[in-house]
Parts: sequence; C-alpha cells; structure tokens
Amino acid sequence: MTADSLLFFILAAMTVGSALVVILASNPIFCSLALAMAMISVAGIFASLNAWFVAGVQLIVYAGAVMVLFVMVLMLFDLKDEVRAFSRGLVSGFFKIASVAVIGGVIAAAVWMSTETIFSTAPAAPTVNATVATKQLADLLFKKYLFSFEAMGALLLIIAIGAVALSRIEGGTHADK
Amino acid sequence: MQAEFLFAILLLAPLIGFIINGLRWKSKNYLLAGSIATGAVAISFIAAVLVVMKLFGADAPKAVTVEYFKWMAVGGLEVPVAFVIDHISALMVLVVTGVGTLIHLFSIGYMSHDERPSKYFAYLNFFLFNMLLLILGENLLLMFVGWEGVGLCSYLLIGFWFSDKEKAAAGMKAFVTNRIGDAGFLLGIFTIFFLLGTVSFDEIISKVAGMPVEVGWSGPITLAALFLFIGAMGKSAQIPLYVWLPDAMAGPTPVSALIHAATMVTAGVYMIVRLSPLFILAPNALHVVAVVGAATAVFAATIGITQFDIKKVLAYSTVSQLGFMFLACGVGAFGAAMFHLVTHAFFKALMFLGSGSVIHAMHEEQDIRKMGGLKKYLPITHATFVVGWIAIIGIPPFAGFFSKDEILWKAFSSPLGHKGLWAAGVIGAACTAFYMTRLMALTFWGKPRFDEHKTHPHEAPPSMAIPLIVLAILSAIGGFMGIPHVIGEILPGHPGNWLEHWLAGSIAAPAGEAHGSAIMEWILMGISVSIAGLAALLAFSFYVIEPDRPKQWAARLPGLHRLLENKYFVDEFYFERIINPLVSGSKALWAFVDVNFIDRATFVVGDFVRGMGSTARTLQTGNMQQYALYISIAIALMFVYLLEGPKRLAELFGG
Amino acid sequence: MPINDALLNVGLSHYLILSALLFTLGLLGVLLRRNVIVILMSIELMLNAVNITFVAFSRYSPTANMDGQAMVFFVMTIAAAEAAVGLALATTIFKKFREVNIRYFEHLKG
Repeated sequence: MTADSLLFFILAAMTVGSALVVILASNPIFCSLALAMAMISVAGIFASLNAWFVAGVQLIVYAGAVMVLFVMVLMLFDLKDEVRAFSRGLVSGFFKIASVAVIGGVIAAAVWMSTETIFSTAPAAPTVNATVATKQLADLLFKKYLFSFEAMGALLLIIAIGAVALSRIEGGTHADK
Repeated sequence: MQAEFLFAILLLAPLIGFIINGLRWKSKNYLLAGSIATGAVAISFIAAVLVVMKLFGADAPKAVTVEYFKWMAVGGLEVPVAFVIDHISALMVLVVTGVGTLIHLFSIGYMSHDERPSKYFAYLNFFLFNMLLLILGENLLLMFVGWEGVGLCSYLLIGFWFSDKEKAAAGMKAFVTNRIGDAGFLLGIFTIFFLLGTVSFDEIISKVAGMPVEVGWSGPITLAALFLFIGAMGKSAQIPLYVWLPDAMAGPTPVSALIHAATMVTAGVYMIVRLSPLFILAPNALHVVAVVGAATAVFAATIGITQFDIKKVLAYSTVSQLGFMFLACGVGAFGAAMFHLVTHAFFKALMFLGSGSVIHAMHEEQDIRKMGGLKKYLPITHATFVVGWIAIIGIPPFAGFFSKDEILWKAFSSPLGHKGLWAAGVIGAACTAFYMTRLMALTFWGKPRFDEHKTHPHEAPPSMAIPLIVLAILSAIGGFMGIPHVIGEILPGHPGNWLEHWLAGSIAAPAGEAHGSAIMEWILMGISVSIAGLAALLAFSFYVIEPDRPKQWAARLPGLHRLLENKYFVDEFYFERIINPLVSGSKALWAFVDVNFIDRATFVVGDFVRGMGSTARTLQTGNMQQYALYISIAIALMFVYLLEGPKRLAELFGG
Repeated sequence: MPINDALLNVGLSHYLILSALLFTLGLLGVLLRRNVIVILMSIELMLNAVNITFVAFSRYSPTANMDGQAMVFFVMTIAAAEAAVGLALATTIFKKFREVNIRYFEHLKG
C-alpha cells in the first residue's frame, strides 16, 4: 500500500463509520457530532483529490456554519435520548432497506464494471498548483457561471428571510382543531 | 476611460434613477423626482458622448463592443450580455439620451400639478433604460428584452392616468396591438437562429455577407425579413397595426414626445437598418416594406387633415413620417431612413413638447377649434413651433427638407425604387404641409376662439421653454449633417454628405445602378418643395384668410370628408370584421361545441380521474418517509431496468 | 492480482464507490429515522456523497476540468439553504408539539 491509498482508505473508513453513527445513534447530539466528523473526513477526501479550496470551503461552511446551526437547534430543543429512534413497521422497514440496498448495490456494480473500461486507461489529469487551480475555479464561477452564482446569492437572501419569517410563527401553521 | 465602465454608466444611470424614484413612489415632490430622473438621463447622455468619441479619429475602431457575462448557453445557442456602439447605434443612442434629457427636463414643468410625479419619472427612466438595451444590445435577444421593456413602459405611461377608463383602454390597446407585432418579431428571431445558428448581429451580418440575393417569396431570408417587418409594423405603427398610436396620445404629452414620436416608435426602423445586410438579400420583402411605408405615409397624412385634437394631428403625422422612414428602408436607402429618424426625432419632439406647452397653457384643452390666436400669449412656444412647422413641411434649409428630400430622391432613383413610390411620397409631403399649416393656423393664428376672460393662457416656465429652444435649434440646423451632393457642390467649401460617409461601412446598399442625373435631382427637389409650399399656402388661405372655406369644401365633398374625419373607419372595420366576428364566433362555439363536446369529454375524463384518485389517495398518507420510500423503490426499479430490463423484455416478448 | 491492484492504486472508481456507500447510508437515515433533525443530517450526508462524485470526476477527467468543483459550490449553497429552511420548519413543529418527530409533518396533508 502506498501512502496515498492508505490515506484514502483511512479517510473512507472514517467517513463511512461516522455516517453509520449518524444514522444509528439514538441521541441526536451524538448524531450531530458524528456528522461533523463525517464532514471533516469528506473535506479530507476533497484534499486527497487536490481540491484544496473546496476542502477549505467544506470545512468552513459544513463543518462550521451548518453544523453550528444543527447544534444550536438541538440545544434549543433540549432533546433527550430517543426511546424509539426508528420508525415502526416491519414490512415497510424491509422494503426500505431492500430498496436502498438495491440502489447502492447497483451503483457500486455499475461503477466497478464501467471504470475498468472507461477510466482505467485515462490517468488522472496532471496535478495543478493549488493557487492556479483556485484561480481557474474563480474564473469559472465569476465568468461562466456568473448568472447562476448571482441567482444563488438571491436565493440565499430569500431563504434567510423565509427562515426568519417561518420561525417567528407562533406554534405551528395550523389552527387547533 | 474604459469602455466597460462607460457602458455600465450609460445603461445603469437610468436604471438607478428608476429604482430611486420607484422606491419613493409615494412622494409628491415633483422637483426632486424630476431632478433625479433628469440627472440620471443627463449622466447617461454624457457617457454616451464619451463612448461615441471613441469612434472618431483616424484609427478609430468601427465599433466599441463590451461583453459583461454569459447570459445563457443552451446547446448551440450562446447568448452573452454584450453591448455595442457602432456607427448606427451611435446616432440612435445620442438622439435617445439627448432628446430624452430635454424631454425629462420639460416634464418637470409639465407634471408639476400631477398627483404621482415620482411614479411618472420612475417609468420614464425605466423606459429609457429599456430603450438603451434595445439600441445597444449586441444580439437579437437582448434587443427583444428592450423591445418588450419599452412596450411595457409605453403601456404604463399611456395608461398613466388610469382612473380615466378611456385612457386605461388606450394603454391596453397599445399593448395588445404590439403583442401581434412582437409575435412576428419572435418568429423572425427563431427563423434567423434556425437559418444562421446565431442571434448576434455581428455574426448574422458576417454570415449573410456571402449569400446570394434571394428571388421569389418563399426563401428563408425573405421569410425572416417579413417576420421581422411584422414586428417593426407593430412597434412603429404601420398599416395595419398603426391603430394604437393615435390612441396612445392619452398619455401625458412629454410621454407622447419621447416614446410615441422620438424614440420607441422608431425602434422598428432602427432594427431594419441594423439588419440591413439581411434585408438587402430579400428584395421582395423590401418591396413590401416600401409599399407599406408609402401607403402609411399617404394614408395617415390624409387622416391628419381632418383631426381636431392637437395631439391626434401630431400622432397621425408621426405615423405618416414613420411611413416615410420605411419607404426609405424599402428602397434600400437605409442611410436616408436613419437621417429622417434623427431629424424627425428633433422636430416631432419639438412639436409635441410645443403642443404640451399649449395644452398646459390652455388648462388641459386639446381641441384646436377652441384655440386660435395663441401667438400673442405664447411667444416662445409659437416661435419654436414655427421652426418645427417649417422643418416638417420641408422648406430649406431646415432639417426636414434634407432628410425628406433624400428619401424622395432615393425612392425615385434607387435600383429598388419606383416612380409610383416617389409620387406617393410627394402626395404625403403635400398633405403633411397642408395639415401642419392648418394646425398652426387654428392654434396660433387668427382670432382667439376661447373666452379670453375665463382662460388666461400663460407662457411655459423655463424648465419647459429651454427644451423647446434647444430642440428648435436642432430642428433648424440638424439637416446639415446630410447635405445632398448636388447642393454641396454649389455651396462654398463643398461640404460633403457627412452622414452618408459616417454610415457608409455599417449599412448595406442595394446592388445595381442608380438612375437619374443631377439635373433630375434638382428638378424633383423643386417639384416637391413647391408642391409642399403650395399646399401650405392653400391651407393658409383656407384657415386664416377665409375661415369659411373649409366648411364649404367639406359640404361639397361630404363623402370624402366623412371618410377622413372617421379615419377611414379603420377602428370600426376592425371591430366589425375582426373583433366582433371573433367574439360572436367564440360565443357560438361555446354554446354548441364547448357545452356538447368539450365539457362532456372533460366530465368523462374527470370522473375517470376521480375514480382513480379515490383509489390512489389511500397511498397519500401524509407520512413523508413513506413517500421517500416510493421514490427510492422507483429509483431501484429504474436502475434494475436500466441494467437488465431491455434484455429481459426482449427475451420475454422477443419471440 | 486484482485485489492487490485495487488496494494499491486508488482511482476514480474508489471514490465513486465511497460516494455510493455514503449516499445509501444517507438514504437509509432519511427513510428510517423519526427525528426530523436527524433526517436533515442524513440529507446532508447524501449531498456530500454527490459532492465527492463531482470532485472526483473533476480530478479524473482526461482534460483538467474545474466545472465539477464549481458545481460543488452550488450544491453547498443549496444544502445550506435547505438546512436553514428545514430547521426553521422543525422549530415551528417543535413549538407546536414539543417534539420533532417526522409524523407531525403528517399534518401537512391538511
């Protein structure tokens, strides 16, 4: 095993492991901590793909801002250990797990079968200096995708206003029946 | 300065003015609102001048283009947000921002008693922004955005006093009539994209450069040109879509001056000049343009003779003058069309503003039968109006003479021209001279026909007088930018035709020899000027010397008079033959087809769907995880099908 | 030896399979958990899986192509927006029922 592949497998194991904790832990606080761990591992994965800037943004936005949002809300609710963390229903549960397994299996199989033919001959593109890569990324974002970028900005503003408006509503949107 | 920066100022200044005035739309402070709006347009004008300066000089570029960002990229269609000032749009942008500034200034005085000045100025600024988009856009799609934008602003401003039902209806009429034209314009854009795979003007022009001239009617370029001309017909009020423009006079008078005389209605002419290399390849389409233009020029001018509303007279005059511009386009004299567009913007804006001043002075009275003798009360308005009058009837050396005469000469001599077109043009010019003199006589000369003790006409305040004076100067000297060669030769210093030289590289010229000599040009010039002069004298004798004669003539030719007075019954015809049959036809369809077939069919379908729904609603439990489960099962099935499905199905049913 | 090869040479397929695994785990969380907040977290996991795919394709495309990384930005923006709205909704539900169980969203059906 080379150092690169060792790094990948460690990061992958961390990601999958913490993702498992997210969906299995009964205490939401554990879930959120595991999610933070998963985010950081994904940032590591990005870094291993030479996407340094994206990795940084992942750390700041996800592991920073979004996680804080989750933890804040959890603190606000003051939730205890859940008695029943999973929804009930044996049959539907079976279908859920089965369908997900099929999806995951088919994706993995498809990837495994097709990479051999398509990508094994094409080695990774030459590594670019991180500064140059970031500059290229900026060029894309502020030229080719400028309109979408600005639209995203508008969307975020609307979302912020909407979220504030939503949480100001007293006790739900429905009148008591 | 950087072109990007200047273009940004040029375009954004009116937009910012719109936003500021739009945000404080409740304010009644007309002075502040007007100053903001006027300032915004003035800044835009200065920026325009600075950009146009880049085009001068020995090694100046043919065009200044800036591209800000990609607007959309779909398949082969890539549309950038790019703007261009070349020799054509330079003229147009200077006219629009320059005349626009003057009209904004005029509006400050005119709207001083209005309830909602901020809203008014916001609309006016927004109009200007859209007009600039239309002019400067480097591709047909951007032009179309501006095209629709000015239509919207026109609608808003015509119906500005919407509490009056008739005025609101006039706005609606303008909007709906323009829709018909816009549909044609869109079809034209589609045809061009289908044909050439691009919507950029630059690429269109370079792609059609090598193409042969199309003969016949069914060629793709002819089709595209005709579709585009339908768009131009709607926006520039040509037969048969002109009906909205006279009604559009319901808006405030400066709006009529800006939108319905100087700028927006000339957009159609501008578009055709812009795409002249394309139009030149479709001579049949150009013939249509010329005939429609000539017909409109005569038709609208004859209606103008019998109108009594001061603004309606000017409106029909505008329709007629636009007809002249299309006549010029149709005979391949795109330069002459541009020339007349510019001079017309000067003198027609002047006359509209003058009429605004009159209406303001007469306390919203628009009927010229109740005016007369205003010369004494409104000296400045009268003096400037006289300049506009001389300019429009084409007396040398005022602006209208040069441009109108060039159109008439080209209609005669161009390879695409015809003697009949020339004759129609002369008749139109004679009618123009007649009704304009009549307008002058009834409004300013003779004895007052209003109660001088009740109405006290007052001269315009400076904010209204200054634009009038500036426009009068421009109307007087504007023609010198395009002195015909035959006149230039006898003048000291032999001034050339500057405008022709300026536009030479940017517009197309028809192939083939021009016929007619310099002597011929002098003779025709003499004929048209003397006919116009005679018509003016006739009108003068009719309405000033013997004020009873018009009534006698009207009594002697009752049929013709009725026809003209009722505008050839075109509105009635449209209602009678198009709108009413449509309405009654749809009613009949509704009573029979709709109730018996369509409704019944929908009921059957509805019952079926309701039956299915009551079964399917058991699935809708509101349990979102169950919904998510459906999604994931569906995805799983889809994946399985994609991997194995086709093969299995073939095995099952393939035998 | 293919197994050895797969262990030694980490390539595009490794990242894609990791992404598939992460995506499946997230989907399981969405389907199985009852706590709205945990469901939102699982959605974040799924979006991260998608991001890994984007970046991996961007890295392993034959020509150096940064478009994939640009897409990641848009996904992150959407994710942040979605988390904000989702949590605001959760807050509203919590105010009403003092719990954040997904079944209270059944009231959405009206």
